[in-house]
Amino acid sequence: MDILIDILLALLSVYLAFRCMLAPKLSKAVFVFFAFGLTLALAWIRLGAVDVAIAEAAIASGFMGVLLLDSLRDFSLTFSKNHNVIEVKPNNSVEVKNRSELFPKIGLGIGLLLFLLISLEAVWNIPEGGGLTALAGSKISESGVEHPVTAVLLNYRAYDTWLEIGVILMGLLAIFAAGGIKQYRKAGITPSQDPILRQAILIFIPVLFLFGAFLLYFGKMGPGGAFQAAVMWGAIGILLHLGGWPVFTEIPRRLRLLMLTAGLGFFLFLGLIFMTTGGALFEYPPAYAGLLILMIETFGAVSIAAALTAIFAFLTK
Amino acid sequence: METYKIYSITSVVLFAIGLGGLFLAKHFLRKIIATIIMGGGVFLCLVSFADRDSLSYADPVPHALVITGIVVAVTAAAFALSLARRIHKFSGEETFTDEK
Amino acid sequence: MIKELLIVLLLLAGCFFFLAGTLGLLRFPDLFSRLHALTNADNLGLGFIAAGMALYIASPWTSVKIFLIWILTLLSSATSSYLIARFQRGQDKSKNRREE
Repeated sequence: MDILIDILLALLSVYLAFRCMLAPKLSKAVFVFFAFGLTLALAWIRLGAVDVAIAEAAIASGFMGVLLLDSLRDFSLTFSKNHNVIEVKPNNSVEVKNRSELFPKIGLGIGLLLFLLISLEAVWNIPEGGGLTALAGSKISESGVEHPVTAVLLNYRAYDTWLEIGVILMGLLAIFAAGGIKQYRKAGITPSQDPILRQAILIFIPVLFLFGAFLLYFGKMGPGGAFQAAVMWGAIGILLHLGGWPVFTEIPRRLRLLMLTAGLGFFLFLGLIFMTTGGALFEYPPAYAGLLILMIETFGAVSIAAALTAIFAFLTK
Repeated sequence: METYKIYSITSVVLFAIGLGGLFLAKHFLRKIIATIIMGGGVFLCLVSFADRDSLSYADPVPHALVITGIVVAVTAAAFALSLARRIHKFSGEETFTDEK
Repeated sequence: MIKELLIVLLLLAGCFFFLAGTLGLLRFPDLFSRLHALTNADNLGLGFIAAGMALYIASPWTSVKIFLIWILTLLSSATSSYLIARFQRGQDKSKNRREE
């Protein structure tokens, strides 16, 4: 019975990915993309990765979908995939063009098929590695948290996570650079005066805040943590912008920068303190590890939430 | 057939669909969606092997990698979107093709 | 035994309403009637499924959580379908004006 659900989910995700690529309308592709993300989230729950499922449903499906949906306003809604090659010129130039386009496509198809076969073989015969499960579990009592994923994220591989918060900041800077920072200043959306939308947003904000805080704290012993909490808090900023309160662009510039860099800065500050006391960069003293990890997660969540809000506020002019 | 095998095969197929879409799709948005689908394939592969190596809980290291990876992939895709919108704003183009 | 029968009946009722809502979404002619089918039938279906699951889990706190999830879904689906309908109405109005 279980295997039926797995096969159904697998077929559904492949079908939705196909539809995403082949849907004639661009808007349809974006809506199918939402469904694809949610299918992947279900697949991750089936694989026992609840943390990943929350992150996927919230960030890769929800946040990315909102960004794609918003950029549909820029592009024409009815862009058709097959609109090229129809030229009304004399002397058979249409046919020639078709043939010259056909050969690369056939080559590409054969290449893709070969690639698919080779990687299928590689995945099928992958050697037994054993993984790092036992190793990650054996030190869990010293890491300050009880949930292995959080221990890996913020203790064993803290260096990785620190740099990753930096990468998000870099992405934000790149978006500023690509768009010009002047637009960011006046990025306020036309205030929506819709009373129903505003009331619904006012109801949702405390719920989102509470749920984010719960996820942040619960990351210690179960699925949850800084990234999932950050999305919930980032959703608050996005909802406020949608409801016509562009708070994030209105607050003082210094406060905004502080929010954006708090995670990276606090993480590095702690690491340097550990180094001056004679440890490695992110080598927490085991007695305080739990508390320190919670503090780092809080600052990290605030700055990732701020970065997500900034990306949204900037991209939706 | 174990659960992880189903999903690892799916992951390869998803990656191939994304790769094909990246080459064959014309519109910017569709290319960006194709890269995200490719990323989804890679993540699914990692997590399915984490499920194979599970003891009482699944292997946490790939999970952590995938969580950070999702956030980074979305940030990169947002950057790509901003570039695409910029190109569209200045040139009115929606594809890379020259033909008119 | 009676409890299990009740759970099965609730879940089946939920599935029936979901099916009806999806059928309406696929077969109804215009956006407003589609939204009507989707929000009404799906919210009711979700309510039945939530009730069935709460009965199945049989722990008071989890039941409260499931109930809260249902309420939140009601709120968000009502708001979002209202917004979609408002957008469509604005479009219709501007189209009519242009035709006049």
